[in-house]
Amino acid sequence: MSDYKTTIKTEMPTCKDVMNHICDNLGEELNSPRCIEIKAHLEKCDSCQHYFKSVDTTIQFYKKYNVELTDDAHNRLIEFLGLKE
Amino acid sequence: MDELKLIELAQHGDRKALSELVRNYEKTIFNFSFKICRNKDRAEHTMQETFLSMVKNIGQFSGQSKLSTWLYRVVANHCLMLARTESKSGFTSFDDEDALIDESSVADWKVTPDRVTENNELKAILDEAIQKLEPEYRIVFLLRDIEGLSTEETAKIVELSVPAVKSRLHRARAFLRNELNKRFENERL
Repeated sequence: MSDYKTTIKTEMPTCKDVMNHICDNLGEELNSPRCIEIKAHLEKCDSCQHYFKSVDTTIQFYKKYNVELTDDAHNRLIEFLGLKE
Repeated sequence: MDELKLIELAQHGDRKALSELVRNYEKTIFNFSFKICRNKDRAEHTMQETFLSMVKNIGQFSGQSKLSTWLYRVVANHCLMLARTESKSGFTSFDDEDALIDESSVADWKVTPDRVTENNELKAILDEAIQKLEPEYRIVFLLRDIEGLSTEETAKIVELSVPAVKSRLHRARAFLRNELNKRFENERL
């Protein structure tokens, strides 16, 4: 976890803590006691679930936004590199 | 044929092996370049320069890292050099990092990413949001979240420490999510 999270915290996480944690650690498998508290909060909190979904959807948007490499662009590349047969 | 064998052949001047390496990576490199510069002509130019660098320097490739990592590094450096040459202003600064997380602005988005490539309105929104991010942040976000590299691999490519990569990733994720939230909190696209 980041320095922000490694600060020793004994209180329960707030929504802001959870949202920060999502931006820090999305996609990581973490099992520290603090992470378990964060997951417990997330399961009960609609607002944090919406936040989690929106960060995940943001990533999915950019992942799925692809462009096609045309045959013309491929041919120009091969010619540019002097690899044309 | 496996990649190490292709590289070995290419290092000994086998043009077919070089062509096959280009073919294996051209779509990945074109898309990664496009995702950084958001412009197809520039992406093609970057792809050409990246593979030219590969062709010229394949003899020096030691195999200690993956070829893909090497290619990502060339793309990232090329795009950063172009960005610095242009010294475009108007990027968002992150002076107030705490303000990036606003727990009062959390909507349940109804948009889904399924048909993004067919929706020009949505693509324009995504382009506009990511172009506000400085290229240094954009590249970290793309390598880690979109290309799926580990934090450590990303750190090597951009020559930053792991904590610095994590910090940039945190800011990029929060910033992009906020930008899209402004558009999606009340919309279906």
